[in-house]
Amino acid sequence: MNGWHGRLLRINLTTQTTSIETIDPQVCRDFIGGRGVAMWYISKEVDPQVDPLSPDNKLVFAAGPLTATPAPTGNRYMVVTKSPLTGALAHSNSGGEFPTWMKRTGFDLFIFEGRAEGPVYVWVDEDRVEVRAAAHVWGKDTHETTDILKAETSDEARVACIGPAGENLALMAAIMNDKHRAAARSGVGAVMGSKNLKAVVAMGNKNPDLHDPTAMRDVSVDTSKNVGADVKKGSNMRIYGTSYVPQVTNTLGIFPTNNFQQGTFEHTKNIDGDALKNQYLIRHTPCYRCPLSCGRLTEVPDGKYKGKGEGPEYETISSLGSGCGVHDLAALVKANYLCNEYGMDTIGTGMTIAAAMEMYEKGYIPESVIGQPLKFGDHDAMIDMIKKMAHREGFGNDLAMGSYRLCEKYGHPEIAVTTRKQEFPGYDPRGSQGMGLLYATSNKGASHMEGDVAYEEVFGVPVKENPLSTDGKAELVKHFEDAFALIDSSGLCVFVAIRYVFSKDRLIFPQRLSEMMNFTTGAGYTPEEIMKAAERVYNIERLFVLKAGSTEDTLPYRMLHEPLPDGPAKGKVVELDKMLPEFYQLRGWDEKGWPTKEKLEELGLTM
Amino acid sequence: MRINVKLIANYQSLLPAGTIGNTIELEAPAGISVLQVLTPFGVPLDDTSVIVLNGLTVDLNTPVSEGDTVAAFSAIAGG
Repeated sequence: MNGWHGRLLRINLTTQTTSIETIDPQVCRDFIGGRGVAMWYISKEVDPQVDPLSPDNKLVFAAGPLTATPAPTGNRYMVVTKSPLTGALAHSNSGGEFPTWMKRTGFDLFIFEGRAEGPVYVWVDEDRVEVRAAAHVWGKDTHETTDILKAETSDEARVACIGPAGENLALMAAIMNDKHRAAARSGVGAVMGSKNLKAVVAMGNKNPDLHDPTAMRDVSVDTSKNVGADVKKGSNMRIYGTSYVPQVTNTLGIFPTNNFQQGTFEHTKNIDGDALKNQYLIRHTPCYRCPLSCGRLTEVPDGKYKGKGEGPEYETISSLGSGCGVHDLAALVKANYLCNEYGMDTIGTGMTIAAAMEMYEKGYIPESVIGQPLKFGDHDAMIDMIKKMAHREGFGNDLAMGSYRLCEKYGHPEIAVTTRKQEFPGYDPRGSQGMGLLYATSNKGASHMEGDVAYEEVFGVPVKENPLSTDGKAELVKHFEDAFALIDSSGLCVFVAIRYVFSKDRLIFPQRLSEMMNFTTGAGYTPEEIMKAAERVYNIERLFVLKAGSTEDTLPYRMLHEPLPDGPAKGKVVELDKMLPEFYQLRGWDEKGWPTKEKLEELGLTM
Repeated sequence: MRINVKLIANYQSLLPAGTIGNTIELEAPAGISVLQVLTPFGVPLDDTSVIVLNGLTVDLNTPVSEGDTVAAFSAIAGG
């Protein structure tokens, strides 16, 4: 096969045995790769009702067909499993270098199953696979773990691992790779921890064969040139990375502030891209083969928040910054470093602390339970809470369950800003209606990465949509969900994909991405066929989520019943009922959101 | 009348030299449109920019009122 290796590595951690299996080429073609093919295996092998932290759950690492090809940003992998946070589906994406190194082992997928008796790590050097004891790194943070495991395998290898948060089964635990990059959301790190799997170390020289190497090189070079031309003109993504976004969302009044109690933050200038660039930026740190280079190495050189690492990205500035009312930039940067070192999703971490802050201020959780005051804006208290969450100490044990369970436990579920029990990212949907529909329907719970229509509603890419209007949003959300399923399955990064390998229509069309897929795999997709395959991926995921019992597509109380009190979207709630019926109809789902028999037949799926 | 012009991130360089922050206040004639406010700054007035009036999506010919803020940023994927 080309593009796809057509091979997977299965690692049974209970028996500590490994096997190599071929992947049916038709499955690759029908489900594209990466997220899609991983989901096909999860769907076939995992009972949707399984306890996500039991040995019966499986954890899949999946590289796409474009991973480790010349395609610019062909450097992604997906982690797919049943989520302990949402009780539904997790598919978390990451870049950096590990995904490319993983693909070069000669496998498209690693499937981890069972549970090791004690801590282990898996070392994959092409077909040489070892399950090794990891007691000596258990308890260590992601940076120390990475250094130690590279030293005892190869400096040329790359490491994906969990930190203390994953070991302690915190439901916002991430899987970190290359120290600073995260498959962050939905508690994938807790699933890894439940298997006693501390790390995966990968290395190899098996680049995938390409169907038409010359054509693939040409289209990749041309795409890189297009990215480069924008960078040369002064692209915000190169200058600031995503840290330029707070000024944008604050201007539109959708910058989550104090646990989504407001949509504007008076201290935005203290935590925005200029502040970060002028005070702490050292240099840009691109993922492998990325011409955009939005990553940034930063350092707080001295003081009590001294530290060095990558980021923070916009979502972190939103969750640990404005979300918690925090505007001390050094403390915010330090909080980001700690989350990376402990292996935690910054969105879930920040917004859970934000919910706790609101409950503290309203008197719903007494100081005696928390052990200290926990007011919005108290950055030192926020940092204390992060440490306690990772180690499940004291009140941190409650926080480690995420905001939904926290708010329910203390009798105020209306404070939790979640869907499918997962915390919202940094776009208040009351001022971005399409995002509201996305959060409500997302298979993985609230996530911008499920089909980020903020590209159009907020960023004007490729065209500007009025964020306050519900008109046409059902169609837009459906289309973007499918487009993101395609991007995630291909192995590309959305930042470059949306702008450079799709058409510039309102309903973006994968003309160039189809070419890349065909030059790589020889599958001969038409753009229509590949979008249909993406819709197939979305629907097989939907079936799993519904069968897991996560059947309600709705939004938390605040979004439906508490109008935004400030900013351009003042007075707005999400008008979900204006969009949801049309969305179901366009999806070919019934009035309760279940795919119809006709839709499943059209996609070649069965209930 | 007094109005505000806010040019975000890389568009800040289009503000007059010496401007602190991303916003300036300026005097403008009554009836001036969003388009007319931004033209002298050299903001690209095409689909490479996102332009809002008081944070809201409007037609660029919309007249600006006393105290309004016209904001612009480069249209780019991110976040």
